[in-house]
Amino acid sequence: MQFFKKLNLIAAVSILTVGTAHAVEPTPVDWFNAGYQTVFNAKRLIANNRHAKNVILFIGDGMGVSTITASRIYDGQTKGGHGEENSLSFEKLPYLALSKTYSVDQQTPDSAPTMTAMVTGVKTIGDSLSVNQYVVHSEKNANIINANKLATILEQAKQHGLSAGIVSTARITHATPAATYAHTANRDWEGDSDKLAGATVPDIAAQLVDFNISGGIDVALGGGRTRFIPNTVKDPEYGVSGKRKDGRNLTVDWTTKHRNARYVWNQAGFDAIDPNTTDHLLGLFEPSHVHYEADRVAYDQSGEPSLTQMTTKAIDILKKNQKGYFLMVEGGRIDHAHHSGNAYRALTETQQFAAAVKAAMDATDPLETLIIVTADHSHVFTIGGYPQRGNPILGLTQGVGATTPDLDLLGLPYTTLNYANGTGYTGASNAQPAGSKTFTIPATAGWASGSEGHNPTSFQPANGRPILDSAKVEDDNYLQEAIVPLSAETHAAEDVAIFAGGPKAHLFHGILEQNVIYHVMAEALGFN
Amino acid sequence: MKISDFLKIVMAVGFITFSLPVFADTVSDSDQPLSEVACRYEMKVTSFSTPKPKALFTTAWFFWRKPNMIQTQDADGDHGEIWERTANGSIQYRKLYHIDKTAVEYMPTDMPANNMKFDWFKLSGMLSKEELNTLKLIKIKSVLGRNAELRKGNINGQALEVLWLPNENLPASIIRKDKKSRMELRLIDITPLSVSAKKPVALEEISDYRHIDAADFGDMENDPFVKKLMSAEGHHHH
Ligand SMILES: [Zn+2]
Repeated sequence: MQFFKKLNLIAAVSILTVGTAHAVEPTPVDWFNAGYQTVFNAKRLIANNRHAKNVILFIGDGMGVSTITASRIYDGQTKGGHGEENSLSFEKLPYLALSKTYSVDQQTPDSAPTMTAMVTGVKTIGDSLSVNQYVVHSEKNANIINANKLATILEQAKQHGLSAGIVSTARITHATPAATYAHTANRDWEGDSDKLAGATVPDIAAQLVDFNISGGIDVALGGGRTRFIPNTVKDPEYGVSGKRKDGRNLTVDWTTKHRNARYVWNQAGFDAIDPNTTDHLLGLFEPSHVHYEADRVAYDQSGEPSLTQMTTKAIDILKKNQKGYFLMVEGGRIDHAHHSGNAYRALTETQQFAAAVKAAMDATDPLETLIIVTADHSHVFTIGGYPQRGNPILGLTQGVGATTPDLDLLGLPYTTLNYANGTGYTGASNAQPAGSKTFTIPATAGWASGSEGHNPTSFQPANGRPILDSAKVEDDNYLQEAIVPLSAETHAAEDVAIFAGGPKAHLFHGILEQNVIYHVMAEALGFN
Repeated sequence: MKISDFLKIVMAVGFITFSLPVFADTVSDSDQPLSEVACRYEMKVTSFSTPKPKALFTTAWFFWRKPNMIQTQDADGDHGEIWERTANGSIQYRKLYHIDKTAVEYMPTDMPANNMKFDWFKLSGMLSKEELNTLKLIKIKSVLGRNAELRKGNINGQALEVLWLPNENLPASIIRKDKKSRMELRLIDITPLSVSAKKPVALEEISDYRHIDAADFGDMENDPFVKKLMSAEGHHHH
């Protein structure tokens, strides 16, 4: 693998910060100089104490530190390098802190209280969206919700005359985006038909469209169409029925309620939007979550924009407001890929998420825009063994100088990436036979239902470990081995990273409670 | 026990590839409407892995067919599945949990990635045209007062014996056999849907069910329904 040659002086200063495809192998002097250069640059870093005109909060749902590391290597390897030296776009932001993600009642949290903490400054209980901890789970009474709701940074931005947008690859009513604009004690009440009978608190989709501060939300792009459409109306892409029972067509309400408003549901409609003439844009590109980035182009029948395209369009609309804007962008399906135990889709989702951050960095001025990139929680995703430099990150672990994969004490090769629990357990499940599991089942198993990914509800004990080979484990659909058999891989409790650049970004330092993120944004926007 | 679980048990005993992949491209020549029927089937699996052949399972279930809807239900009425063909040819698939009044949706977004492709002919008749054509016509018989073709052959290393009702486009029986096990599906009762005493659950009723996207299971670990679903079978074994 000695295809790197001697590094020249200019390359030396960038080797630690820029992932250069086919870079030449640094010499000891290069390493020393590059390390020194990093310190030299750090000494010249000046805290930007101005107020932020704009704040963009990027959430990689479930994007723990191991996911970032593995994605960085994957991204670098797809560019032709070893991978380890690569940096994802947001890793180049100058400030970093760690975020403690536990919620009021959970050691390992879900996305509802974590996003609530980030956008309201207050930790709350599991499944609750921007209401305080005193509201019981699934509280039906709108008066109680109102009395205990927590003001969000998005609401405050609108009150101060800024524009506000939300972008996600999940349903736009899903926990992370919903916490910015909705108040409810059950994150699953996304449409009116999801609520308990007698609940007077409005559903999340209605709260999005009926949001009435300063003319309403300006941009909302993501998935989740059926919760906006009545059950008498068919979905334009698939012909399935809408889910609303109250007869409201919220996509129509969006355009009638707002000025210069448009609703789009596919790539063509999205591309036709002129940001200069559109002030309120609702884009819902799938009935539920949008496609995984790995599948989007190949499989979507009507076409749908990438997270990067949605982010860019949102900024182009929001930036027209001279007072500034607040934008939340979520890479929502990193989490889903991990729950499925499929590292490939988690890494490619993260790669696309990083591209969206880069687009935002390119489109904004760091002197006036605070960009924060963080996660709501981690996943039980590990990078193990002693693979040599440049070893394929999805591959079998192969040690330094070795010509064959390393073997465990059963004499079997193993992968670098694994999960501590989840669907990749190798005993027979009720859905797949003993051995390695796949995200995609190659042939339909039986007449009944076709395949459905690997959503097991039971496992038999595994007998040893399967025999792995490179082709199998580097397949896009391979599910990495899991120690504890579960129907879905779980979130993890360790801290997640906060990357930041722009005004007040230096206030992120050390290990912080997750709700501090709100307070930095409020400080930056001058709301304190 | 729901049919899909039954089939999964069949798989677990080594009957892994008991059908061909269901590819959507084979739908094209199956567009003539099939008769609306209500059927009751019985399924039996016998294992040969043990010294003596051992009956693993017998179960009965209902099958209803309309031009654009297939619905199944377990004999006890707890579980079912529904496939609907929409105006633009998409197939919506949901698992139904009648006691919990809950439907689990498998979204079109996740189907290609999960290799979920539906062959409407196969859904409507349990065998694809390719499978039927692979089997050799042995003789014409009469079953339940109807014409039936006895067809035999091998698919994926398994001996297959089918009694096919050509007018109804349904099997009167399917027997699949390999060294490890034998699976038998037998039609017990068939009537026109309009006169059937046992009807499928109405679409309006299903639309009132709580709907969950299967992609959200990982984030619903505290949800009582999901908890029950995920642990229901997990706690059985030894
Ligand atoms: Zn999750």
